[in-house]
Amino acid sequence: MYVPLTALNEGEAGIVVDIQGGPNARAKLIAMGIAPGVTVRVIKGRGPGPMIIAVGSSRIAIGWGIARKIIVRRV
Amino acid sequence: MLKTIALVGNPNVGKTTIFNALTGLRQHVGNWPGVTVEKKEGIFKYKDKEFLVVDLPGIYSMTAHSVDELIARNFILEGNADVIVDIVDSTCLMRNLFLTMELFEMGAKNVIIALNKFDLIKKKGVEIDIKEMQKVLGVPVVPTNAKSGEGLEELKRLIVMMAEGKITTNPIIPRYDEDIEREIEHVSQVLKGTPLAEKYPIRWLAIKLLQRDEEVIKLVLKYLGQSKMDEILKHIGELEEKYKRSLDIVMASQKYEFLEELLRKFVRHPVEIRETLSDQLDKLLTHPVYGLISMVIVFYILFQFVFTLGGPLQEWLDSAFSWLGEAIAPHIANETLRGLIVDGIIGGVGAVLSFFPLVFLLFVGMSILEDTGYMARIAAMMERFLRVFNLPGKAIIPMVLAFGCNVPAIMATRTLENERDRILTMLVNPLVPCVARMVVITFLAGTFFPDKAALVAISIYAIAIALALISALILGKFFIKGEESPFVIELPEYSIPSWKTVIIHSWERSKEFLRKAATVILLGSITIWYLSSYPQPVGTGLSYAERLGRAFEPIARLMGLDWKAAVSLIFGIIAKENVIATYSVIYGVSEESLAGAMAHAMTPLQAYVLALVTTLYLPCIATLAAIRAEGGSKWMIVAAVYNLTLATVVGMLAYAIGSVV
Repeated sequence: MYVPLTALNEGEAGIVVDIQGGPNARAKLIAMGIAPGVTVRVIKGRGPGPMIIAVGSSRIAIGWGIARKIIVRRV
Repeated sequence: MLKTIALVGNPNVGKTTIFNALTGLRQHVGNWPGVTVEKKEGIFKYKDKEFLVVDLPGIYSMTAHSVDELIARNFILEGNADVIVDIVDSTCLMRNLFLTMELFEMGAKNVIIALNKFDLIKKKGVEIDIKEMQKVLGVPVVPTNAKSGEGLEELKRLIVMMAEGKITTNPIIPRYDEDIEREIEHVSQVLKGTPLAEKYPIRWLAIKLLQRDEEVIKLVLKYLGQSKMDEILKHIGELEEKYKRSLDIVMASQKYEFLEELLRKFVRHPVEIRETLSDQLDKLLTHPVYGLISMVIVFYILFQFVFTLGGPLQEWLDSAFSWLGEAIAPHIANETLRGLIVDGIIGGVGAVLSFFPLVFLLFVGMSILEDTGYMARIAAMMERFLRVFNLPGKAIIPMVLAFGCNVPAIMATRTLENERDRILTMLVNPLVPCVARMVVITFLAGTFFPDKAALVAISIYAIAIALALISALILGKFFIKGEESPFVIELPEYSIPSWKTVIIHSWERSKEFLRKAATVILLGSITIWYLSSYPQPVGTGLSYAERLGRAFEPIARLMGLDWKAAVSLIFGIIAKENVIATYSVIYGVSEESLAGAMAHAMTPLQAYVLALVTTLYLPCIATLAAIRAEGGSKWMIVAAVYNLTLATVVGMLAYAIGSVV
């Protein structure tokens, strides 16, 4: 099932299938390791404050607006 | 010509530490031509040989969506580097090697990989087969631990060997699936034979065209013309149709797949992701409530550290300069020369220089917070709030520093990623009241509102901060346009800072402050000394300064103030405490009995307006000089005009409202 990253609960992981949004945001996400095929895990979901996700062993804080544009497949 | 070594890498990989290890104190910081991105260069000595080391901005990719990426990309593409040291964080190989792959795609062959933080990855139980990694990637790989110095000797040796052409490499280049490779081949054929092909690697140009890179499209258009370009774009469009998404995404995911396969050849036991203690801490520190509370505590400790240690040093320097002036005075017979040296140069420059310990310590504190990884958490927490006002989360750092002194605060805007954010933060920064203005505010509040001094002082702070935020909102919306950077911040692992890096970093940055004291501030001090001493000294009513004050009196009147206030404000430009000091010169009383004298001459409303205007009008010359250094003369003028106008308008409003109430 494809859902936006924001739909994942804390501790859940997903494989990125698509990134919507402008080329600038897309390029930045890709360079930071968030690209289709990559597994991401939610460390901190729900508000308030930014989302925190794990990509490999690195941790990335990401705004809710842009997180909504990352489409993942639940695993 | 010295041979050039360029350092490339992601942010937070330990690039600065390696740069410091190579260059020691033989380094300097400037700006890349035309932009306000920090340019760090230094000399690397090895035995009797010397090399120039250029620290390129820390970037995640070479897509050239930001100035930093463009600088790094052009530097490499133009072949400016004889050796490229690619610093890779071994705890995060996948993403770091993504940049490496881009380097290889750009045709860079003279690359050495420094596999940094190697001790950390070993601790995590991950094994990296270095020999295999070298074979697979086709370039030398050196495991390093920049903090302890491990591997650095070997790195230096390899750099020198490569610079002398004694190493041959064969970098691996990422491959994409058939359809894309076919298209790359097709575009390459079209480009073959054009002058572009001589300047840039064809494969790279083709790949960038497929990714619809704006810079490259513009470049190729010049050589191919519109019709051929349209044909290429049509092909790309068809391919995108087939994949049902844009090629930059398709190629990125294929590049990651390619990398994953490579990694399997030389990495064993990759790390399991599980929640760690630092994740727990992150949740707390980025929380809007708990995070804010911890931030207030951390900054309180920072300011305590700076002022407890720096305060006495500042006073000591201040008295040292007065002593110097007094000691020199009797030895200069010529009255004019004496005035110039004692009051103009020693007095003026001394007043600013005595702030040096505070500036230096603020930078030390900030470097520590940055190196521990805490700053990234603050930025993440503040992002949402500050974005409302068009500022990025990271702007909180300069904004908080500004409460101490605007000069290091302006310099700290360097840590912001994009030009627009940086200029905007720089422009509104002077509105945050610094310590010098606190002196004026508390003096006036205490003298005129003895019962409600704290409340009055707080109201001025609140107005100033609100105006800073509103200014950012308005300036960002209408005047300083540019792309907002999307909010994605890496939270680096918490670590203990290296003292060497902290000290070198702080010294490098605060050195600029000293350089300014020697130039712009010196000039400003002499000018103000001249205006206040000729043709008659201040107090006689004849000095140029007082005449200038009278000239500005009509404006001052609108705010309910008189020429004395205008003169004081003019002197306040050197350092804002001068606003009070000037009054004591005009009234001819000591600073101790000044409160009484002023209380008779002014109404509380006038005092309130004076305090407010002192806070908002032109920043001091040290701050203006800092804005000029970071953003150029244009932004310094904009800042000056904006602040002056804002202060006048707010002053008039405050007086009008105060008169009615």
